[in-house]
Amino acid sequence: MVRYLLRRLNLFLATSLVLFIVLFIVTNQFPVEQRFALTGIQSPNAQQIAQIETDFNLNSGVFNQFIAYLQQRLSGNLGISATSQRPVADELASVLPATFELAAVSGTLALMFGLPLGILASLSRHKVTQHTIMAITLTGYSIPVFWLGLTLSLWFGVELGWLPISGRLNLLYEIEPVTGFMLVDTLLSTSPYSTSAFFDAVLHIILPAITLAVLPFTVVVRITRSAMMTIMDQTYIKAAEARGLHTSRIVLRHALPNAVIPVIKSLGLMLGSFASYAMVVEVIFAWPGIGSWLVAGIYQRDYTVIQGGVLAVALIIIFLSIMIEVLHTSINPLSRKELYASN
Amino acid sequence: MPLLDIRNLTIELDTPHGRVKALERVSLTINAAEIHGLVGESGSGRSLLARAILGIPGHNWSITADRMMWDGRNLLEMSSKQRRNLMGSEISMIFQDPSSSLDPVISVGAQLIESMPAHKQTPFWRRTKKKKQTAEKWLHKVGIKNTERVMSSYAWELSEGECQKVMIAMAVANQPRLLIADEPTNSMEIQTQAQIFRLLSKLNQLQGVSILLISHELETLSMWCDQLSVMYCGQIMESGPTSEIVAQPYHPYTKALLDNIPNYSGEMNHKSIMPTLRGSAPALQHLPIGCRLGPRCPEAQKKCVNKPNLCHKKNRYFACHFPYHEEQCNDESTASS
Repeated sequence: MVRYLLRRLNLFLATSLVLFIVLFIVTNQFPVEQRFALTGIQSPNAQQIAQIETDFNLNSGVFNQFIAYLQQRLSGNLGISATSQRPVADELASVLPATFELAAVSGTLALMFGLPLGILASLSRHKVTQHTIMAITLTGYSIPVFWLGLTLSLWFGVELGWLPISGRLNLLYEIEPVTGFMLVDTLLSTSPYSTSAFFDAVLHIILPAITLAVLPFTVVVRITRSAMMTIMDQTYIKAAEARGLHTSRIVLRHALPNAVIPVIKSLGLMLGSFASYAMVVEVIFAWPGIGSWLVAGIYQRDYTVIQGGVLAVALIIIFLSIMIEVLHTSINPLSRKELYASN
Repeated sequence: MPLLDIRNLTIELDTPHGRVKALERVSLTINAAEIHGLVGESGSGRSLLARAILGIPGHNWSITADRMMWDGRNLLEMSSKQRRNLMGSEISMIFQDPSSSLDPVISVGAQLIESMPAHKQTPFWRRTKKKKQTAEKWLHKVGIKNTERVMSSYAWELSEGECQKVMIAMAVANQPRLLIADEPTNSMEIQTQAQIFRLLSKLNQLQGVSILLISHELETLSMWCDQLSVMYCGQIMESGPTSEIVAQPYHPYTKALLDNIPNYSGEMNHKSIMPTLRGSAPALQHLPIGCRLGPRCPEAQKKCVNKPNLCHKKNRYFACHFPYHEEQCNDESTASS
């Protein structure tokens, strides 16, 4: 197992190195002066120029430049944003929690409703129920997320006026960021209106979370259903029935752990498209996360923000997909069987 | 009253080629505390019969029967919940394919503990421990010495033989009244086979468990069983007490089986042809009408295109128009034509 984890860590480091190489090459291709692309300082004075040149080793060969670039980036120097003049690392730290919050809530929603519905769809004997569930999930799978987000905010936000359509919190509330997660911060806050702020934050997250959850939800339903259908025909399920176990026990204890395995695998595969969907949703709902920040940076030709955003998003996706693979291995003893054989 | 009494059980399968009668009018009677052998080639529907008795049909089956009585209760009229309550506690089954009959993602011990009988007297906080002890006891009884290792491993880490022993432990732990053993010693070495058969016959003698032993080895079955039923292609050919069947088979198929048991005395010449029944068992899509043995039967005549009825002579049953028996059985032959 230790050997396996070391190999996964190695994979993470290797992929990240490739990512840095790509970023380094792209940075030099930006249609601006190299010093500006690296640091974001618009018109540096002589002292700053000297500082940049020593920092990034600009007077030596490409390889040494790359080493210096790697050192700077890994030590947290992502430059400053050309528009806000604040360090990119600080901006990242303030936008990342918002994205994590949104992704966590919609991921939870997708799993919480997707798994039971998939199980129900696989167990139901009625053709009508099965086809209805399949039709709904297929529709959800094929709806473009930008249209869905706009329609939802038009209906529930504008016409019905039930839910707020932009931002994370009403401007009336002033909450001290502790964790960066608004739902947690409002509860931690000592101000007298923290409870109402919490409910306001919940109202704000409903629409973006539902919009983002539709795609993973449909995928989870479909994969759970197909996995359950195959598993319920397996001999070990028949054998469990023959031992006289209760149906609910068979489903929850024997079929579900087997069915979750392909679901987790497909979640890992979906991570990339999930991230790009999250960006679209953030832009639509003006959610102050990394997606809208990055898109704004692209519009403003803010090269340091683009670099920092791409770096952060890519690193997170690499890390999470490796974590999902490790999780997949840890809950699936069968994949450990292959592991033993390969070592 | 027999423990299990089945009359004219028919199982039809919906296949892409239309409906197929995989089991045609099978009758089977099992008395309490007997070992009943069911012999037949693979594909003759033995496992279908076993699953129909237990009540775990496949999704494309349709089962009809004149009667299916379990200890005076009609199995056909029971709800699926009542059937499920019978399973495990009164009827248990040992499956043919042990390693795939165990859940691959849960350890063997957890599954074993799950199927142990609950101790109603013990307080609930000590039940799991008690169940674990019972599980270990049963593992010892089926001949597994290293219980700790077996219980902590997954099904695919064990050999087929070990898995089979675990399955047997699960099946017998609830002390059922009928144990259906579908090829219990498949994929085991001879030493283990004998061990398993001894265990089964000990259960039968000491606790009065009736056993339906399914196999294709007539020799082994004739060694352990009191009663024997011979099946071919979903039809019962002959059934009766083992000793009488072996001494004097009435049905051509049984006779062929007994005649063709390979003889190891060394009297056969080198490279001489082994005696077998000519032809091969038909595929499910191309079943012959009437007696399904017809095309291969040495005694077959024109009459055999009608299915012979099961004929009762003393304690023997056979379904043949031309049995190896002096007097013709004609009690129902008019009804069948």
